Amino acid sequence: MSSTPELAERKGVYRLVVAEDAYLIREGIRSALEREVEEVEVLEYCPDLGSLLRAVEADPPDVVITDIRMPPTNSDEGIQAAATLRKEHPAIGVVVISHYVSPHYALKLFEDGSAGRAYLLKEHVGHRIQLMEAIREVAAGGSVVDPKVVDVLVEARMRAKNSLLSRLSAREREVLAGVATGASNAAIAESLFLTKRAVEKNINSLFAKLDLTDDKTTSRRVRAALLFLADSDLEAGPDL
Amino acid sequence: MNSSAVSRELAFDQLDGDIELRDPAFGAGVRKEDFAVIALAFAGASVAAAIVATGGVTSDPTTVATVLVANIAALALGGLIWRRGRPASSFGNLLLAEGVLVFVSALSGSANSVVHLIGMLGGWAAGLGATWLLLSFPGSRVTGAAWIVMGLAVATFLVGELPLMLLSPKVVGVSGIANCAGACPANPALAVDAPGAAAAFRHVEGVLQLAWGLGLLFYLSTTFAWASHARRRLLLPVFATSAPFVAAFAINAAVFDLAGAPPNATARAIFAATRIIFPLGFIAGLLFARAYAGEALAFMARKLVGRPSVATVEQLVRRVLDDPQARLVFWLPRSEQFVDRHGTPVVLDPAYEGARWSAFGHGDVRVLAVVHDVVLGEDPELVTAVGAASLLALDNRRLEHDLLDSVDALRASQRRLVGAASAERRKIERDLHDGVQQQLVALRIRLELVRDLAGESGGLADRLAELAADFDDALDELRAAAHGIYPPLLADEGLEAALREVARRWHVPLNAELDDVGRLSEDRETAIYYCCLEALQNVAKHAGDDAVASLRLWRDPKAVRFSVSDNGVGFLSRPGAKGAGLTNMVDRMGAVGGTLAVRSAPGEGTTVLGRVTIEASDRVGDVVHA
Repeated sequence: MSSTPELAERKGVYRLVVAEDAYLIREGIRSALEREVEEVEVLEYCPDLGSLLRAVEADPPDVVITDIRMPPTNSDEGIQAAATLRKEHPAIGVVVISHYVSPHYALKLFEDGSAGRAYLLKEHVGHRIQLMEAIREVAAGGSVVDPKVVDVLVEARMRAKNSLLSRLSAREREVLAGVATGASNAAIAESLFLTKRAVEKNINSLFAKLDLTDDKTTSRRVRAALLFLADSDLEAGPDL
Repeated sequence: MNSSAVSRELAFDQLDGDIELRDPAFGAGVRKEDFAVIALAFAGASVAAAIVATGGVTSDPTTVATVLVANIAALALGGLIWRRGRPASSFGNLLLAEGVLVFVSALSGSANSVVHLIGMLGGWAAGLGATWLLLSFPGSRVTGAAWIVMGLAVATFLVGELPLMLLSPKVVGVSGIANCAGACPANPALAVDAPGAAAAFRHVEGVLQLAWGLGLLFYLSTTFAWASHARRRLLLPVFATSAPFVAAFAINAAVFDLAGAPPNATARAIFAATRIIFPLGFIAGLLFARAYAGEALAFMARKLVGRPSVATVEQLVRRVLDDPQARLVFWLPRSEQFVDRHGTPVVLDPAYEGARWSAFGHGDVRVLAVVHDVVLGEDPELVTAVGAASLLALDNRRLEHDLLDSVDALRASQRRLVGAASAERRKIERDLHDGVQQQLVALRIRLELVRDLAGESGGLADRLAELAADFDDALDELRAAAHGIYPPLLADEGLEAALREVARRWHVPLNAELDDVGRLSEDRETAIYYCCLEALQNVAKHAGDDAVASLRLWRDPKAVRFSVSDNGVGFLSRPGAKGAGLTNMVDRMGAVGGTLAVRSAPGEGTTVLGRVTIEASDRVGDVVHA
């Protein structure tokens, strides 16, 4: 490819490398990204971890979209790729696409930092807004977690008695879920039909109730919220 | 269960049937022929005593009758004991025959000259018989140098006594106790009354008799001196009771026949006493041997408790038999040969069975043989005791070995089954994931693209939105099903991650303390995972609404452990609660060589504890804290 980073910057085009071993999914991603030709340019489609890393070395993209489970071992190559890129190319954003709703994989992805990382369920790749938001967010160093992963956690936490979540108001829980997905205060405000000021108030209040420190960096806030939701040891005792 | 385990189980059954409880060698009652012998002995002794008492020939009828009754009784009893104790030996029959000869010798108490002569000949026969008994003991044949002594005995009769009988008007006899002094009846066998020649033959007889007695004494003492410890046990009582008799017999010859002095009362009393004692030694010898065999059996049984090695058993056999060359050899039914404990084939001559080796087994089935010194062939009680004890010890070892083998085999096959099942589940999960789930996801992506084209409003957009929601439900269902079949996290990340995921999603409060225990083999990880799940489901079902469950996973240097506990009503206190769930858990853990314990008390909750030993192939790393 001949385009240079400066050119991409000027044009506002995200240069991508996509890694996905399953043909049907890969074609799905291709169709989804072809809609976004004005904003996205795919440098290469790779079928496994090795070819992905080689493609990145040959021509570093802005964002990598990678399947979580690929050859050679079919376990968590996508997360390995993210960890490798964190060291070798910290500027590259990574969107890991996965079948797994389990937060384990998202948390694992965030283990060495959540900046520039997104965890998206594969079935949502076709969703134009979600996909583009994830790409834009990681390119800018932000974090995104698929709302469904967060929903499952919140649901499980709400089922448990004595959950700290029961101290939150319904509105605060919605805001927390939004925070955990990586949405900005403005985005949360928009989706919940609130003012940005009201969102900030809710965030301050819920972080205080949960004994969490509100971090102004969105990507770290995502991780903190997600960790909170995922950590079943943090149930409140009856004396609290 | 595999076929070898089955065949072993059958072998156990057969073993039960093999034991022959009605062994004729033990616990039999008194047999008819024994009664006959006892009755005959009683009658014979009575008749003998009556002849001696009423004949008026014997100078000291009381003493002679006592000796005869005692001898007949002792020989009959000894004969019975030997026949019974050693059915294979004919020594018992020899003793009975000797008893008959002693009875015949009692006829010498008759005043009738012919009957008296027959009695005198019977007395000689009894003397020769006693010599035969001593020379052949504990066998029944005279062999080797003993023939010299036997020859002297026969010569004494043929060269000394027989001519004397033809040349003397009265037959006085050699016995020294039944001599008729002045009342002897006339000798019906008298050919020529030649007192000079008779005196000469009496002298010859005296010399030969002295040689006979001394030769017998010499033979007995040297035999005893050269005998092994085992044989001395048998010889000692016999030689101790017979030596005084033989000595008295020899002195008798010297004093009577050579010096010509008449036997006085003291000499007769001593001779009578030694004659009474003499046959008792044969009884004592056998009883000593049996007592020692019993002791040896008890000793071996004490030493063989536990699991002695074959080498230890062989050492014991050597010690108890007092035979440093003794060996245990084992019968291989397939190749039909004996081998020693090192597996070297050993050829045993069937002609020497019982003499140099004795086989032991169950019924007709040989298992092992004791190879021993030839003298131990004369001590069959001891060899039998030693062989039986060895057989028992080795049977125990074999049974235990077989049992452990079949338990191992069963466990291995269970483990293979469980392993195959979990591999199969994992494969199904993969197939679902890579196949139908992949296709559904791809369709879902395309549906989203179509929705995008259809715009944001209008009837088509609404229909597509519904379709998308249905699609999502289908995907959720599929995801849940695949996860239920085999949790991918377990395969990818191991127990800690998979159980943490369980804890996150659990629908009731759950305290989870999960350590990183590394990776175990797939079958064992699966077993622990599903045991925890099962135990958590039990808590949800049985512990009560307010119960809080705790899930722990940790490891020590030897094992990975887990516990699922609750503070509920107590699982085991509910009737029927100890059902399929618990059995499943125990089976799962058992199949991978693990253990499971359940502790529960009413109102105090339930704790399920599991443990799986760490194996060399596990990737568990080192324990950080002790």
